[in-house]
Amino acid sequence: MTATTDTIYLDYQATTPMDARVLDAMLRYLTSSFGNPHSTQHVFGQDAEAAVEAARSEVAALIGADRREIIFTSGATEANNLAIIGAGRFRQRMGDGVARVLTFATEHKCVLASAAALADEGFEVDVLPVQPDGLIDLALLEEKLRTPTTLVSLMAVNNEIGTIQPIAEAARLTRAACTLLHVDAAQATGKIPLDVSASDIDLLSISAHKMYGPKGIGALYIRRRPRVRVLPLIHGGGQERGFRSGTLPAPLCVGFGKAAALAKAEMAEEATRIAGLRSRFLETLDAAGTSYTINGTMEHRVPGNLSIAFDGAGALALINAAPGVAFSTGSACSSASVEPSYVLKALGLVPEIASRSIRIAFGRQTTEHEAVTAASVLAQAAKAVAQINAAAE
Amino acid sequence: MPRVTFVYADGRKTDADAHVGESILALAWRINAGIEGDCEGAMACSTCHVILDDAAFDALPAPSEEEDSILDLAPGATETSRLGCQIVITAEMDGLQIHLPANAPSLI
Repeated sequence: MTATTDTIYLDYQATTPMDARVLDAMLRYLTSSFGNPHSTQHVFGQDAEAAVEAARSEVAALIGADRREIIFTSGATEANNLAIIGAGRFRQRMGDGVARVLTFATEHKCVLASAAALADEGFEVDVLPVQPDGLIDLALLEEKLRTPTTLVSLMAVNNEIGTIQPIAEAARLTRAACTLLHVDAAQATGKIPLDVSASDIDLLSISAHKMYGPKGIGALYIRRRPRVRVLPLIHGGGQERGFRSGTLPAPLCVGFGKAAALAKAEMAEEATRIAGLRSRFLETLDAAGTSYTINGTMEHRVPGNLSIAFDGAGALALINAAPGVAFSTGSACSSASVEPSYVLKALGLVPEIASRSIRIAFGRQTTEHEAVTAASVLAQAAKAVAQINAAAE
Repeated sequence: MPRVTFVYADGRKTDADAHVGESILALAWRINAGIEGDCEGAMACSTCHVILDDAAFDALPAPSEEEDSILDLAPGATETSRLGCQIVITAEMDGLQIHLPANAPSLI
């Protein structure tokens, strides 16, 4: 099946289309400027190296970091693995032997899986619950931090329900407890302001393709002052200061840098526009007399996200009834599963509501016309599915 | 004259009478303690990597960014690792234990 130009894309939290300006910036590094950025003995390599380093500075600027604190990775999954496993192993083997990690029930699978990998190595791993609105409980975190802990991993923005977590407050607690704070910011960078120099974030993961950059590249911010050390997961030629060996993909780095620069320049305006799209979408549903509930807090939520359950209409039936709109039942990595989302379960939602929940995400290329049309289509589809279900009972 | 002790990975120890004002690297060279220091204190290698006890590490001024960057590359770097070339002996260091990492190969 091929997406037509008529299909409305509302799954921007799964991935985003690359911005045309990003592609423009990349093209030269795929063709004429093809050098290996580590082959600095000739002009081809030097050209690529200069482009990679400029891109590193752009990525750093987006989060208030120094460029030497940015390590390029293949994406946020690798960055999360490197942060959690790398920092966990460093303190266990090179420090005082503390081997304890705290994280939360609504984290991305790769964070939970990295923590589980440490548990296999003998770490104590505590996965803390969240509150019914999706926010973490800071008092609980503070209490848990009374036991010496290597690292806390907390996402800035949830990938299913868009919840913005209180990162700055959590960072104050972790710093006071001599514990590292890792922030999975894959869904946050370029959408909400993040400043690692203003808060005590020690490690932070970024993904390019969630912010209109190319797929296949991300970064890990590793704080220099005070120093955060991690043991590498990938060994080899010692690139990226030994943290991550392997030849850097210069075109992807350049695209990532361009996407970061665009996000920095346009973030505030774009957030306002996208919040407007979401309002128009909800107004259209309301005008059509649709009954629905929204999962998670609306107050602490990125402007582009909705996690919404339509009354009487199962999520899979709704997807089939509305082929003209591309959305998902949950995160992309778990949407192939028929199990209700573990994120929604963590909010305390009964499986019946979770199974009716869909994730909608608006983005840079979404037009107002698309938002309104999609809402009308979904309102009709939800009504049709609910009628069929009611007739069957 | 402060007296310090080099402690090797295999447990052997060498005591040394240090001069106030010399670096740990200079002392190690002077008494042939077995620290390489390939770049001769220019902070370009990590071959004078030493590990201090928590209290001794905390008593020193924090390492510079340049030193931290070199320590990132030191095999077996710990939370209390330093470069011997960057630590200047003071009278208060009497009794200091200077641990050498196991099998630290030269990177140059």
